[in-house]
Amino acid sequence: MHLRYRLMPAVFLAGLLCHAGAARAGEVLPKAEEILDKFVEATGGKAAYEKIHNEKVTGTFEFVGKGVKGAMTNYRAEPNKMYMRIDLENIGAIEDGTDGETAWTLSVVQGPHIKTGEERAVSLREATLRAPLEWRKLYKNAETAAVEDVNGQACYKLVLTPNEGKPETQYYDKKSKLLVKMSVTVVSQMGEIPTETTVSDYKEQDGLLSPRKSHHTVLGQEFEITINQIEYNTEIPNNRFDLPAEIKALAAK
Amino acid sequence: MRSLRIVAVALVSSALACAQPPLTAEQKRLNLESFEFVWSTIRDQYWDPTFGGIDWTAVRDEFRPRIMRAATMAETRTLMSQMLERLGKSHFAIIPSDIYGDLDAREESGTASAGFDVRVIENHALVISVQEGSPAALQGVHSGWEILSIDGTDLAPRIEKVAGLYRNSTTRELYLARSVLGKLAGDEGSLAQIQFRDGSGARIVKEIQRIRPQGSLAKFGYLPPSYVWIKSRKIGGDAGYLAFNLFLDPARLMPEFGNAVHYFAECAGIIVDLRGNPGGLGIMAMGMAGWFIDKPDQRLGTMYTRQAPVKFALNPRPPVYHGALAILVDGCSASTSEVFAGGMKDLGRARIFGTRTAGAALPSAIDRLPNGDALQHALADYISEGGRTLEGVGVIPDVEVKLTRDALLAGHDPVLDAAIEWIHAQK
Repeated sequence: MHLRYRLMPAVFLAGLLCHAGAARAGEVLPKAEEILDKFVEATGGKAAYEKIHNEKVTGTFEFVGKGVKGAMTNYRAEPNKMYMRIDLENIGAIEDGTDGETAWTLSVVQGPHIKTGEERAVSLREATLRAPLEWRKLYKNAETAAVEDVNGQACYKLVLTPNEGKPETQYYDKKSKLLVKMSVTVVSQMGEIPTETTVSDYKEQDGLLSPRKSHHTVLGQEFEITINQIEYNTEIPNNRFDLPAEIKALAAK
Repeated sequence: MRSLRIVAVALVSSALACAQPPLTAEQKRLNLESFEFVWSTIRDQYWDPTFGGIDWTAVRDEFRPRIMRAATMAETRTLMSQMLERLGKSHFAIIPSDIYGDLDAREESGTASAGFDVRVIENHALVISVQEGSPAALQGVHSGWEILSIDGTDLAPRIEKVAGLYRNSTTRELYLARSVLGKLAGDEGSLAQIQFRDGSGARIVKEIQRIRPQGSLAKFGYLPPSYVWIKSRKIGGDAGYLAFNLFLDPARLMPEFGNAVHYFAECAGIIVDLRGNPGGLGIMAMGMAGWFIDKPDQRLGTMYTRQAPVKFALNPRPPVYHGALAILVDGCSASTSEVFAGGMKDLGRARIFGTRTAGAALPSAIDRLPNGDALQHALADYISEGGRTLEGVGVIPDVEVKLTRDALLAGHDPVLDAAIEWIHAQK
């Protein structure tokens, strides 16, 4: 669950990437559901996930080598509510969220946008708090496609086909069982743009392991998110997931 | 802005043909290394992986032996340029080490301005506006005055040289203006001795103190800080007028732009003046357009990158302004200005007044080569919503109106006047 929001900045730019691959000669690949279930175990187990009802994540966001950075705050609550805000220096705020029904983005530069179709489906999926437990609800198919190296580590490459949207590719470390890389094409109003994300620096919080760093590549640009703090079952304002006035105005048209 | 410099250098590089001494073994090695860099950069980064049907590997096989046999730097550059020409696109060039930077005199000489703006009209450098309250204004400098020399340098040969260099380029007006503005720029507080031809035709000399450019200093990442200003006022009775010098500083500019549009809600029309605006952040054009369009799923155009096409999508920003929209452009309107003007024209949402824009819309980069030269290469292609390329073509106004010395001396802005007249006719 706590991995998905790291894709959200990439959703602004859109995109996903699929790599072809093949199993190593003679290797029998485990089923995807086995790998996904082991990931849940490796990161804390079903019981630990079920104790979580909401989360607040704070961190930093930086375009690599561009000198553009900012602060990020992300709230999520069960079952699939989300609000994220990135305040980029000299650019302004970028907000993204869903109340579980309406998915939207709002920025000082581009204005308000209500997501529909595949774009909305991606947002709702990414907002799902306990996504690792609920992948069977979110994806209609999951297959183990190959074993590939990611940063020198042998990984299972899984292709997950969501109920709505394009297939996603995820890479799970054979030894640690942890997710280390994702290739996703998120459809947005700006098009279908491939993105690639690697995650690292897993740390434990309240019995759950989650990565504290992610590195994203979108349209040749690279950005990094560093998580400074994760709070589970924290106090979140009642109106945190309400639609902003600009989105309400747009919806009323 | 950087892309504009790149265009200039690209054109200059093709003019190189002077005789040079034979190459040393080390220079030949570096040239071959540079050739490989150029070829592989295009292979890896050109937005169209099919190279428009060209066999890029075969191109390497053809040119590599010729580069190895090249006897001079000029021959080497010519061969590499010929290789790039096979792509048939602008914004690709080899920039000789001794030329790169020559067209960016402003950066070298300081950023303070003389307090007035300039265009070169029919090979005459004319003052087109004077900053209110500036030393130039206090000394009586007036729109329409011709600048004859700056600090003892006669402008005529400089203008002739640049005009000749860009005679076939849509960027001609842009670089003519830049060549004069670069000469006028200097350190804040320094004096520029300028010889003018005033309205009566008399030659007069003024010592003008250079001042900090208008606006607020804006930073964006590691780019050099730039002064950004935005102005708005009601004009012509019932029209709103908006002008800004760069698509930068979005945290300040976007709210100010939006507030101005809302303030003009009851006006018969709004005029967005992009004359002299060299562009900036493309995403700001999308955001600004949102205040003028009310239908979702519209876009200004599409940028084609190696990874994917990126639609310049528009988000309606209620309350949307539905009145007449005029956009003013000239040959110094470039990049994001062209994306905005061209897209709004294609959508049928705006009427464009002025002269053809610079036709310099592509994002591009410069990479230094091992031999000291540089490679200029575009990172993407851009097609406006009407299916037209802007690069090398520019945005053609619906109503072409040119500035003249007589109009400027009379205190008129014929481009603005035409837009106001059109707005009045829409009522």
